[in-house]
Amino acid sequence: MKIAAQEAPRPKRARASEPAIVFTVSRQLFAIAADAVQEIRSTDSIAGAASEFESADVPKVRHTIERVHRQYYVVNACTHFRLRVTRPTLVLILRQLRVAVLVDRIERMTELPAVYDLPLAFSGDERHWYRGLTYLNDHVIPVVDPRGFLTPEDFRRLEGVPTVVANAHEWEGAASQ
Amino acid sequence: MIGLENAQRDSFVLLQLAGKKLALPAKIVAELAPPVRLHSFPHTSALLAGVIVRRGRILPVYDVGKALSGKSALAHRFYLVARREFDNAAEMSAIPVDGECELVTGQMGARPGDAAPYICGEIVAGSEAVGVLDLEALIQMHSKGATSHATEARV
Repeated sequence: MKIAAQEAPRPKRARASEPAIVFTVSRQLFAIAADAVQEIRSTDSIAGAASEFESADVPKVRHTIERVHRQYYVVNACTHFRLRVTRPTLVLILRQLRVAVLVDRIERMTELPAVYDLPLAFSGDERHWYRGLTYLNDHVIPVVDPRGFLTPEDFRRLEGVPTVVANAHEWEGAASQ
Repeated sequence: MIGLENAQRDSFVLLQLAGKKLALPAKIVAELAPPVRLHSFPHTSALLAGVIVRRGRILPVYDVGKALSGKSALAHRFYLVARREFDNAAEMSAIPVDGECELVTGQMGARPGDAAPYICGEIVAGSEAVGVLDLEALIQMHSKGATSHATEARV
């Protein structure tokens, strides 16, 4: 049996294309607006700047990093999206949010032709995780909402937690935690 | 009198789901879609297996077979596209089926007392009684306790 030819969804209204970064987490593809990302670093390159962090309330944050006198909370994207934990190699340091995200790898930089609303049927946490869906190279890919990685409530919980300096070895082993 | 008959006799789509013959009111069914690629990504909504792209729209796919029997029906590559009503909007959704669907006309009878909660009535098709599926009730029954789903569309 043949698979019917894949057709691209039609946007309800025309929108300008948007530069984006396509990345993988536990073999899943995601896109994030390029202007939401300030910096992309390898986990090895910032290991020395990382501090270990323990929060039972927000287990997806196990480290913080200091960048330009600001403390960023490092979110493990595998844990955030409830995926099998893999070993991340890159950190996306977000712009305007004190959040850095551990991801497996960058697939490509691209232009998103359109971002479609998440269908109403999706009613769980994904409504906070994603801005919508996009269609790239025959794949429907979720477009993450940078604000979804840590909620204001998460920040409040995290602000009350003390940190200790972690050594590079612990940081490099963040993936397996 | 003719109007009254039409009001009492509705159309239903008969389909096999998880080895059970069920009926869906034809008024909520848009089409039987051919095999297309299922795209999955992480989410926490019950019964949703992912999305398909059909007629320029991204449609959520409900793995109804899993709800009925515990076994995924995603191997069935045709999709019955049906409408779901939300508070302020309607949305087309897809249900994987094996492709064998039949349109019948009949009068829906009362729901049998021992029927599953997702059965809202019964029609007679040929010589057998077939339960009419209340898709909304079935989804609501499984709307709690969902975990992250991500099975397809991997790199």
